[in-house]
Amino acid sequence: MNARTTIVTSDAFHALVRNRVIIILTATLIVGATFVPGFLEFRTASLGLDRMATLGLVAIGLTVVLIAGQLDLSGGAILALSGIATIGLQAELGQIPAALVGFCVGIAAGAINGFLVVVLRINSLVATLASMLFFRALCHLITESRPISGIDPFFGLAVSRPIEGTFTGRTLVFFVLIIALHFWLTRTVAGRHLFAVGSNPASAEASGIRSRAYLFGAFVFSGTMAGFAGVIQSLSVNTGSPVFGENIVLVAIAAVVIGGTRLEGGRGSALGTLGGLLTIAALTTAMEYQSVPAYLQAIVTGVILLLLILLDRTVSGSQRRDVTLAALWRRAQSSRSSRKHERTLAS
Amino acid sequence: MRKIISPVGSLALAAVAGLVLVGCAPAAETGGGSGNDGNASGGDAASERVEICYVTAAEAHPYVTPANEAFDAAAEDAGATVTRLSQEFDVQTGTEQLNTCIGQNPDGIVLWPLDPQAYIPGLISAQDAGIPVVLINSPMDDEALEFVTSFTGPDVYDQGVMSADLINELLGGEGQIVIIAGQAGNGTTIGRTDGFTERLDELGSNIEVLQIVNADFDQQKALEASRDLITRFGDDLDAVYANDDTMARGFIDAWTESGRSLDDIPPITGINGQQDAFESIRDGSFYATIVQSPREDGKLALNTIVAAAQGEAVEARIPIPLTIVTSENVDDVEPAF
Amino acid sequence: MTTPVPPPSRTVNRGLFSHIGARLGLPAGIVATLIAGTLVSDRFLTVQNLTNVLINMSIIGIIVVGMTFVFVTRGLADLSVPATVAVGGLLVLGLESSIGTLPAAIVGVLTAAIAGAVNGWLIGYAGLNPVITTLASGTIVLGIAQVFVGGVIVYGDNREAQAFLTGRVFGVVPVIVLIFLAVVIAGHLLLSRTVLGRWSYAVGSNPSATGASAVPVKRVRAFAFLLTGTLAGFSGVLLGITLQTARPGIGTGYEFDAITAVVVGGVSLLGGSGTVLYAFGGLLFVQLLTNIMVLLGVPTEPQGLVKGALIVTAVAIDVALRRRGGRS
Repeated sequence: MNARTTIVTSDAFHALVRNRVIIILTATLIVGATFVPGFLEFRTASLGLDRMATLGLVAIGLTVVLIAGQLDLSGGAILALSGIATIGLQAELGQIPAALVGFCVGIAAGAINGFLVVVLRINSLVATLASMLFFRALCHLITESRPISGIDPFFGLAVSRPIEGTFTGRTLVFFVLIIALHFWLTRTVAGRHLFAVGSNPASAEASGIRSRAYLFGAFVFSGTMAGFAGVIQSLSVNTGSPVFGENIVLVAIAAVVIGGTRLEGGRGSALGTLGGLLTIAALTTAMEYQSVPAYLQAIVTGVILLLLILLDRTVSGSQRRDVTLAALWRRAQSSRSSRKHERTLAS
Repeated sequence: MRKIISPVGSLALAAVAGLVLVGCAPAAETGGGSGNDGNASGGDAASERVEICYVTAAEAHPYVTPANEAFDAAAEDAGATVTRLSQEFDVQTGTEQLNTCIGQNPDGIVLWPLDPQAYIPGLISAQDAGIPVVLINSPMDDEALEFVTSFTGPDVYDQGVMSADLINELLGGEGQIVIIAGQAGNGTTIGRTDGFTERLDELGSNIEVLQIVNADFDQQKALEASRDLITRFGDDLDAVYANDDTMARGFIDAWTESGRSLDDIPPITGINGQQDAFESIRDGSFYATIVQSPREDGKLALNTIVAAAQGEAVEARIPIPLTIVTSENVDDVEPAF
Repeated sequence: MTTPVPPPSRTVNRGLFSHIGARLGLPAGIVATLIAGTLVSDRFLTVQNLTNVLINMSIIGIIVVGMTFVFVTRGLADLSVPATVAVGGLLVLGLESSIGTLPAAIVGVLTAAIAGAVNGWLIGYAGLNPVITTLASGTIVLGIAQVFVGGVIVYGDNREAQAFLTGRVFGVVPVIVLIFLAVVIAGHLLLSRTVLGRWSYAVGSNPSATGASAVPVKRVRAFAFLLTGTLAGFSGVLLGITLQTARPGIGTGYEFDAITAVVVGGVSLLGGSGTVLYAFGGLLFVQLLTNIMVLLGVPTEPQGLVKGALIVTAVAIDVALRRRGGRS
C-alpha cells in the first residue's frame, strides 16, 4: 500500500472528513475573525444570521427533499409567489390573513410538485424545473412584472429587528425549525423511514414503508418552507416582487451539500445543513466587509463545495468504519488491552 | 444504521461554542466605528478617514461602472474609505446588503435603489442607528425620502418628458412607437416611462404606444426583446424610445440582424449619452440622446455623503445636469462615457 | 443522482400505437404549431419570420447538441453552461485587441473545453454527482474568467466579424444559422453513426453491464461534458462577436433552455435513448410556440407558463409510453 492509500484509508483522515463541516465552519470563523475587524462582535453575528435566515428556511425544506433522494429547483419561484400573495392581498384581507394565504400558496405549490413527481412520475429535476418556470411566469403575470408594495412598512419590521438585543425574529424561527427537523430526522420512526426511502425507495416499499407518501410529503414540506420564507421575506421589505428568490435555491443546495447531505439520497443531517449555512453566512459576511467582489466570492464558495464533495467521495470510496470520536477512543482502548493480553500470554 | 448522533452532536457543540465565543467577545455597541482605527467616530472627524458603505447597482454595467469609479476617485480625494457591495441588480440582495452596511456602523451609507419601496424598512433602521443615507441615481417614493438625508442624481421624470417632446415633434404628433423600458419596478424605469407617456397625454398627441417591453438596462436582453418587437410590428414602427442607450443599441443590433437596412431604421431616442450613441447619431441610425454623466453622478453622491457624515447640512434633492444631443449639436458636446 | 419513484406493479406490452405515437408525436406537434401560427398572424409563415425563428434558435441550439449527449449518457444535466458561455464571450472580446479575433476565439473555446474536461473528469472518473459538480465548477470557472477581464463588461470593436456573423449567405440564409445547422448535423452523425455514439447509448442504458464489456464507461461519460463545455464556449464566442459586448451574465438561463428543448424532444433524462434530431425537434417546437406567443403579444416572462406546461406534458407522455413498454 503506498503512502497515499495509507493516508486516505486511515482512521484519522476519515475522522477529519467525517467532521468536515465543523472543521470548515471553525476555519471560516477563524479566518473571518483574523481579517475582518469586528467580525466576532455579537451585532455582526446577529446581522449575518438574520441575512441567512431566509436562505435557511429554504435549506430546511431542501434538506428533507435531498435526503429523500430528490431535487427541488422551484423554491425561489415559490418564495416569490408566496410573497406576492402576502403583500398583494393585504389591502383586501388585512395583513395577517394575507400572510396566511401566502403560507398556503407554498403548501399548494409543494403539493403540485409532489403530484408531478410521485403521480406523473416525472424526474424531480425536470419536474421542478418545469414548475419553477411555471410559478415564476405566474409571478410575472400577476404583477405585470412590477414589484408591489404593502400598506405599512412598519408592520413587518419586527421580523428583522433584533429582539431584546439578541437575534432577530426570523433567525429565532429558523433555529427553532432546524432543531425540530433534527429531532424529527434522528429521533422519530418517520425520520428514519425517510432515510430508507432516500437510499432505496423500492426496497423501502418492500419492507412496508409507503415510499410514495414520503416523497410526496417531502415536496409539500419543501414548498411550505419556501412559502414560509417568502412570507417572511416579503413582510420584512414590505414588497412582493416577481424577481425575488432567483438565486436562492442554488445557494441553499450548496449549503445543504456542504453540510454533508448527499444528492444521491439516504444520508444527511439537519445540523449539517446548519453548519453549511453558518459557513456560507460567515463567508459572505467576511467577504463583503472586505469589499470582495461578487465573482471572487463565487470562486471561494465553489471551491469549498467542490473540495467537500471530492473529499466525501474519497472517503466513501475506501473502507468505511465508525470514525466518531467515541469509537476511535474505544478502538484505541481495545487495541491497548489486547496488546497487553498478548504480552501476558507470551510471557 | 450507523450512529449519526455523535458527529452531529459535536457539530451542535461547535455551533454553540461558536456562538458563546461571539457573545463573550467585547461588544463594541457604543457607536464606535468597526474600522481598524478604533476611535469613536463622533468627535474629531476632520482628522480621520470617513467610512462610507456603498451599496451599488452592479459591478459590470456601462453606466454603473464609470459611476462607481468616479465614486472611488472622489473618495480618494476626500480622504474617505469606501466599502462597496454590489446588488447585481437584485433587490432582495440589496435590502440585505443595506442591513449589512448598517451593521458595520459606518459614518454614512450610499444606496442605489433598484426599487421605490423595498428598502424603506432598512432606511428606517439606518435612521434609528443615526447613520446618514444618501440615495444615488434612482428615485424612491416620496415616503422613503423622510428617512434619507439626500437624493442626488438625474431627474428621470424630466428625461421622460424631454424624450416625449423630441419624439412628438419629430413625428408631428402622429405615429406608432414602442418603448424599451429598463428593469421593471425600478424607480428610473418608472420615472422615464411615466414621464414620457404622461407628457404625450398632456400634449394631446395621437402617438400610439404599441408595446412596452422591459429589458433591464441590458443590451443583450434588449436585443432579444427587440427581435420580438420587430417580428411583431416590423415596418409599422415609426419611432422607438429606449430608457437608455445600452438598450437602444440592442434594438439597432436586432434591426440589422433581421436583414433590414440601417437606412430604414425608425428614429430612436435613448438616454445616457454614450459614445457609441454619439457615433450612431453621426451616421444617422440614431436620432437623439440625453447626456447624463455617470461620473457626475458618482462624484456628487460621494461628496454629499461625506458632507453629511461630517455633520454639514445638505440639500434634500441635488440634481445633475442634463443635455439633449441630436445630429445638430453632436459635435459640440462631450459623450458622457 | 435523483432516485426514481418506485413503479406500481404491472407492466403492459408496448402496442404498435404507442410505438408510433412516440415517434410521430413531436413532428405532429410541430405541424400543429405551424398551422396554429398561420391562423394567429399573417406574419407567421413569412420567410422573414421563420428565418428569425432559426436565428433565435442558433446559439442555444449549439448548446442543445452537447446537452443531448449528457442526457443520453445519463449524465443528468450540465449546469455549468452559463459559465462556459460567458467564458467564451468574455475571452474572445477581452483578448481580441491583443491577439486578434480568431486567436482570441480559439482561446475562448479552448478554455471552455478545459472547463468541460474538468467536469468530465470529476463526473466520469471521480464519480461525483453531475448536478452539484457542474454547479460548483460553473461558479468557479465564471469567477476566474471575470478575474481575468477585471470584473467589468468587455467591449469589442471588430465590426467586420460582427457583420460577418450577422450577415447572410446569398442574402437569405443567415451565417449563424448555417453554423448552427452544421453543428447539429455533425452532432447527430457523431451520436448515431460512430462507435462513440453507440458506446454513449450503452453507457446510458446500463452502466454496470456496459462496464463489464469493453466499453470505456468513464471516458464516454467524461466526453459528454467535455463536448458540452466546448460547444457552450463556442456559442459564447459567437454570441460575443455578434453583440460586440460581453458581460458575465451573458449565458444566464441557457442551461434550462437547453434542458427544456432536450426534454420536450423526447430524450430521456435516464439515458440510453433519443437522438440529436429529437432534441433539435424539441427546440424547434419550443421556439415556434414562443414565436406565436410573441405575435400574440404575450409578454416575455409569462411565456414561462406555457413552457412549464409543455415540459410536464412532454415528459408525462414519455413516461406513460415507457411504462407501457416495460421500462422505467
